[in-house]
Amino acid sequence: MPVYNAALRRINPKETARYAGLKNSGDFPAELVAAACLEAQCLASPRGIWQVYDYSCASGEIHSCQPVTLEGQHIRRHLAGCVSVAILAATIGPGVEERAAALFGKGEYTSGLLLDAAGSAAVEEVADSLERLIVNNGAQQGYGATPRFSPGYGDWAISIQPEMLRLAHAGEIGVNITASLMLTPRKSITAVIGLYPTIPAAASPQRQPRNCQNCPHRRCIARKEPEQ
Amino acid sequence: MIYIFDGAMGTMLQEAGLTAGQCPELWNLEQPAKISAVHRAYLEAGAHIIETNTFGANRIKLSHYGLEKQVEAINQAGVKAARAVGERALIAGSVGPTGKFISPLGDLEFDEVYDIYYEQIAALDKAGVDMLIIETIIDIQEMRAALLAAKAASKRPVVCQLSFSGDGRTLTGTDAVTAATTLEALGADIIGANCSLGPAQLLPVIATLAKSVRIPVSVQPNAGMPQLVNGKTVFPMSPAEMAEWVPRLIAAGAGYLGGCCGTTPAHIRAISQAAAGHLPPVPAEPPAHAVRLSSRTQTIWLGQGFPTAVIGERINPSGRKALAESIRSHDFSQVKKEALAQVEAGAMILDVNMGVPGIDQAKAMKQAVADLSVLVQVPLSIDTTDAAALEAGLRTYPGRALINSVSAERERLEEFLPLAKKYGAAVLCLPLAGSGVPHTAAERVAVAADIIAAAFAAGLKPGDLLLDPLVLTVAADASAGQETLKTLRLYREMFGYPTVMGLSNISYGLPRRDIMNSAFLGMALAAGLDAPILNPFDQLMQDALAASAALLGHDANGAGYSARYAARQPHSPQSSAPLNSADIIGQIRDIVVKGGKEAVLPLVQAALNSGKDSLTIVENGFTQAMNEVGEAFGAGRCYLPQVMLAAETMRIGFQALRSFLPAGQPANAGKVLLATVKGDIHDLGKNIVAALMENSGFKVIDLGKDVAPEQVVAAAKEHQPDIVGLCSLMTTTLPYIDSTIAALRQAGLRPCVMVGGAVLTPEYARSSGADLYAPDAVAAVRLAKNYIKTVKERPLS
Repeated sequence: MPVYNAALRRINPKETARYAGLKNSGDFPAELVAAACLEAQCLASPRGIWQVYDYSCASGEIHSCQPVTLEGQHIRRHLAGCVSVAILAATIGPGVEERAAALFGKGEYTSGLLLDAAGSAAVEEVADSLERLIVNNGAQQGYGATPRFSPGYGDWAISIQPEMLRLAHAGEIGVNITASLMLTPRKSITAVIGLYPTIPAAASPQRQPRNCQNCPHRRCIARKEPEQ
Repeated sequence: MIYIFDGAMGTMLQEAGLTAGQCPELWNLEQPAKISAVHRAYLEAGAHIIETNTFGANRIKLSHYGLEKQVEAINQAGVKAARAVGERALIAGSVGPTGKFISPLGDLEFDEVYDIYYEQIAALDKAGVDMLIIETIIDIQEMRAALLAAKAASKRPVVCQLSFSGDGRTLTGTDAVTAATTLEALGADIIGANCSLGPAQLLPVIATLAKSVRIPVSVQPNAGMPQLVNGKTVFPMSPAEMAEWVPRLIAAGAGYLGGCCGTTPAHIRAISQAAAGHLPPVPAEPPAHAVRLSSRTQTIWLGQGFPTAVIGERINPSGRKALAESIRSHDFSQVKKEALAQVEAGAMILDVNMGVPGIDQAKAMKQAVADLSVLVQVPLSIDTTDAAALEAGLRTYPGRALINSVSAERERLEEFLPLAKKYGAAVLCLPLAGSGVPHTAAERVAVAADIIAAAFAAGLKPGDLLLDPLVLTVAADASAGQETLKTLRLYREMFGYPTVMGLSNISYGLPRRDIMNSAFLGMALAAGLDAPILNPFDQLMQDALAASAALLGHDANGAGYSARYAARQPHSPQSSAPLNSADIIGQIRDIVVKGGKEAVLPLVQAALNSGKDSLTIVENGFTQAMNEVGEAFGAGRCYLPQVMLAAETMRIGFQALRSFLPAGQPANAGKVLLATVKGDIHDLGKNIVAALMENSGFKVIDLGKDVAPEQVVAAAKEHQPDIVGLCSLMTTTLPYIDSTIAALRQAGLRPCVMVGGAVLTPEYARSSGADLYAPDAVAAVRLAKNYIKTVKERPLS
């Protein structure tokens, strides 16, 4: 499957504010958030890639050349009923994180923090575009697609990251991993999207939506509160 | 008559025995009789146009089967197999996608893709096709590469069919109007849509295409939306169901109909019967003299009857040292920032000029255009006098750009006009002749007429041309303004083409140029200017534009004008609150809490002037403010960015005060060594802690991220900190918290160790041997202060 470097035509200021830990604070200057989004847009080099593999949901096995078995209740449940999986990797390159660190060095803490948050929002946007493409490609052949699911969500251990990078061919877009399993550039994502037959409809199982309520990191500053 | 294309090839070949994993196009060589049989079936079902079995016969697709060396043979055999059905059919050479994206969206270069298509199309042309059909393309840039290659490799008519998604756009964001604008200008002979959707979903796309072009429109839908049954993709629509859509597709403007995935000879027979007797649709008549420009995702109209289109002039390095330097060093972040900010300020087109002396302008233009094409939605104007830079920009741009500009000088006419034709660009005609600058309006009109004649000779048409009236300096020539306005009026009377001009020349050498420019803008708009090139950040220009829009009838009842200005108060220099010297420390506290970075310095100055000593300002102003902010954060009344803003405000105030502080003051709160542990490359959280610690009077030694235990030990020996702060964000690096603490203890060092980080828990902190656990940065500062206080208050033993 091809490299797809989605155009980053906007960065969502609301998401940026959330990643910065602003929650629902209305009295923070919106222009600071907007400026961070604009700067991140200028510094980002969006890149993305994905590959599709056959998948056995009974065994959790991805049928790549060197097969990979997925461990973890959440991921297995998420992919229940799927016959293929798309493994994707997305990044915005190192520009944003380098600039955020430089801003901290200059004492511009707020801009640094907001820029880092805008980078997080940006890489999600890039992954969203990739996801749309994958969902559309699947639909062309009559497949339904699950929302994307990343290592670290629920109980899916990030120890799968090296396999995810290998499966996605992430090296082609410059995404690598440290010995301690951190992606470089830091603003990078890997994820899986499950593809399932749309007919018969009964095959599509109940899936947990990907949201903050299903995440164990309760102190996360970007956590979304349940809607009242 | 309505022309009928054939239906799907792939499904037919599978029925004839093609198995999954086999190359369908290889059958052109190996099983030509079976290919001809499919063609014959469609011909007998009523198709007028047969598509060759060469959809995937490009070098990239064939390389999946190791057949990349057989491009010519496979394409030729495909044409031969189609010709075998007799002379009655028109043969269309089918050209499909490479399956890869073009830079900057993908990893293929535009020229590589062009070469790949050129190779295939040249083979089809040589084998004698009647027309070419480039189909199922989801990215306008790939279509541009294929169409340019088709125009170079063949004289045959070219059908350009894109695949649209349910939202009416291709997957990379191009809507039907924009596709029509870009491809008609680039020389497509028929434009259409195929695959991806069924007839119901394609109907609105076809209606939009047909309204946007003068050329015929084609449609080849799938037999409905796909379903997966027993591991096989099936398309549910029956021939009769599909035929029901035919009259509506024709009424929407389709003159060529066929089928894509899931359609069979039975479908084509039904479509052909349903189309029989219908007259071909009458092509649309878009406004004759107005000009359309497009980006990848948007089309805008310029000309009489359309709103004034502001062209942003800021991406121009002349007279702007920093911008010029950044372009020279291949750093386009400044260019991108100018682009986004101008669009935000209302620019509808962006002028792009890369005229930095001594650089490779073509390379810079290519890079700038590529970067901007995925960043902003508005169309671009390529501003250059360098033919190589112009071609680099036009070739790279996935839309219909404006060329700024073409004068009557011979080399411009000879070099620029053919490029405009080749790449489907619009041309701004600038009435400058080799003989010099024409001063009167009549002279300018005469020169413009020469350029127009040359443009027509180069194959351009009305709808491709815009006129610049030329702006000279009023300080040098009193009639300069009048002549420009007169030229605008004459242009409108005599040609009717849209007019474009840069205004700022008018005020050269005068003070307050913005006043002169904005007055001139109002006059020029009244005289018929359609698109001013200006600085969108200029407030007076924006005011003049808003007022003019209402006055010229582009803003009904001044609704937009009212929305913009009703809530705004006129500027008043006295509007800032007077300084109250009574509680100046309280005001400083307030401004730090609020994060008023700009306001803190005057307040500090005022406090000093009123005799407050610097230590009082620091302790009762800054420190108390930060305590308040910290408490508010702890109570969930404010959030991290607000804490950082307060810290930054304090920092600015503190730095200004530093020179006034008595030596050694404020008392050093203590020494903190900070590090993100080995293996962890995240430093944002640690940076936040460092910032807040420094602001609270701690001396901070920041070792950075990915710091090995032995580095922490060495630094701790050297600096003898009161506190060592260790941070780890991920579970994978938590063990390094333990080993770093162990290493410190082993080296006989007993500083207070504080730990924190996203996945760290109080329990883990305890088990690792840490003295303190900080759940967040504000707590870290509070804990550190408490620790120092206890230690200092402890009697010496």
